[in-house]
Amino acid sequence: MRSRKSTSTKRGFLVRKDEGPSLLGLAFSIPPLLLVLIFVGLPILIGLTFSLGFTSGPNRVVSLIGQQIHKKNHWWGTFAAYSDVIHDSRFLGDLGLTLFVTILSTILVILLSLSIALYQRLIGGKKSSLLVTLSIIPLFVPVVISAWAIHTFYGGDGFMRSFFSQFGINFPTLTSTPSAIVIGTVWTSLPFAILMISSGLQGIPDALIESAKDCGASPIRVITNILIPLAKTPIIIATSFTAIGILGSFTIPLFLGPNQPTMLGVEISNFFGSYNRPQQSLVMAFMVFMIASGIAIAYVWSNVKSARESGRI
Amino acid sequence: MKKESDEMGLELRGLKKILGGRVIIDDLDLRVEQGEMISLLGPSGCGKTTTLRMIAGFLTADAGQIMLAGKDVTQLGPDKRPSAMVFQNYALWPHMSAAKNVAYPLKIKGLSKVEINEKVEAALELVKLLHHKDSRPGQISGGEQQRVALARALVQEPDVLLLDEPLSNLDAKLREKVREDIRELQRRLGITTVIVTHDQEEALSISDRVAVMNSGRIEQFSSPQDLYRHPATEYVATFIGSLNRFEGELVDGQIRSGEGIVGIRPEDLVIAQNYIEGSHQGTVELVIPRGHFYEIVVRRHDGLFRAFMNENVPALGESVHVGIKKSLRYHNGKLVA
Repeated sequence: MRSRKSTSTKRGFLVRKDEGPSLLGLAFSIPPLLLVLIFVGLPILIGLTFSLGFTSGPNRVVSLIGQQIHKKNHWWGTFAAYSDVIHDSRFLGDLGLTLFVTILSTILVILLSLSIALYQRLIGGKKSSLLVTLSIIPLFVPVVISAWAIHTFYGGDGFMRSFFSQFGINFPTLTSTPSAIVIGTVWTSLPFAILMISSGLQGIPDALIESAKDCGASPIRVITNILIPLAKTPIIIATSFTAIGILGSFTIPLFLGPNQPTMLGVEISNFFGSYNRPQQSLVMAFMVFMIASGIAIAYVWSNVKSARESGRI
Repeated sequence: MKKESDEMGLELRGLKKILGGRVIIDDLDLRVEQGEMISLLGPSGCGKTTTLRMIAGFLTADAGQIMLAGKDVTQLGPDKRPSAMVFQNYALWPHMSAAKNVAYPLKIKGLSKVEINEKVEAALELVKLLHHKDSRPGQISGGEQQRVALARALVQEPDVLLLDEPLSNLDAKLREKVREDIRELQRRLGITTVIVTHDQEEALSISDRVAVMNSGRIEQFSSPQDLYRHPATEYVATFIGSLNRFEGELVDGQIRSGEGIVGIRPEDLVIAQNYIEGSHQGTVELVIPRGHFYEIVVRRHDGLFRAFMNENVPALGESVHVGIKKSLRYHNGKLVA
């Protein structure tokens, strides 16, 4: 390690010394590290062992209460619970719906927020500010309230059907369909994505846009060649956080989605509570976790790549 | 690359711009010859950058006409104008290498890859940065970034090159070097160039002609020598170089009360130990070493006189004779004699 220049002062405990990392710095990092290990790491580990059939220790009580519990038959455990889940057609349907809703909603959220943020960046003015303000309102509305609002809007006896029936049009009932979940997740995820992407685009200096125009770039080229590549990091953050949020969503699919198939967040709860199959619910949770981890890895990889490209690392 | 044509390189006719209810540019006329390099010089807020941005197409004129190489471009956007601009902060795209930055306008024009590569290499060679073609803007110095920005502008082979305070972010030594490079390139390529600056030394040393701007108008548009020796207005006289300024009239080598302003350049003063014709006595109040010359401040009964000397420099408090070789007289801000 490159030695740091000594900044010796009389307030000795704040002094950065030449010899290696400070013990004090290490001491500061221990409490949050312990917190994460105890409250996140340990439950994951216990959950993983239970899903693999380790039914003693902290898993003893839940394995006594739960049904269709598989006990380990090798030193490393058993994949029986995983096999249960994978061969359950209900799970495959849920997984399909979860992935469909996650991908479609994320695409819609990013396209919508990018359009609004680009409109604000390139056109500006009062209209665009109003649009951004309106689009971040859902951030301040609890999800359960917005889910209910969407329900009363798109339900069988909701506003849309009542309104269109005045003109003799039979507007479809969207509640209890995947469409309602998509509408709900887009509505709740949009504010964060807009804030993220909009701040990224606002941070791009005017001169970088003007120099592109000066080189003969059309507005489309300015967007695709300059603005989007320069706002890549906030767009990736918004995409990955939106996708992970939708992947694990519960309230929206519970209120607005169909009973079967349903999204995995609801199904995990059903398996744990209603069907009393905690081991299978944990397996599903691990699968969702694996998909989310994949998104997180893509996010980290992209950040590292962009930092390397810009010479920050 | 120099164009043989009788057309003006750039012509502004009755240009006007109002921003936030304030008149920024008012009835501005300017004619720049083909292949000429001119500066728009003035203090902050005088409208020089607004004028440049109107020429480039980033601002639309509220009235008037902009002609670039004989074509009326007043209603055209920046992407349709035959001009290229070098921005104050270079405005290089950080996600592209130097070569990609330079190649971008050619890519938009739809040139083939081979042509693009040839032209990019030639442009980078021109600014002596071919070895940095794969470097990103963040990996090269400010001066090098400036040269990449210049290469990106030149590769477009524009009719008019626009430079917005191109040297203001460079340190003094580098500024001089880049200034010489820009001038040399401009001469070689014979490209009509407009440079915006608030630095008079920069403007005077780089330009064929300088337009001194004040409150949205051009006070004087002349060669650097003419601007300095024959400033048409009191504003130009005080803005360009140093000036001993007195209210009153010059009678028998002395300032007397009266109407108008008398301006005397420091080098138009003669400081002598003995009486010379038309001189008057004074006392040396200040001697400031300025490197290869000294700045002397002498108090006479009619005012304080600032002169430059490089030999026989009098001592502080010494009694000397101050004579006036040449003066400028202004009435209502305009040059009278």
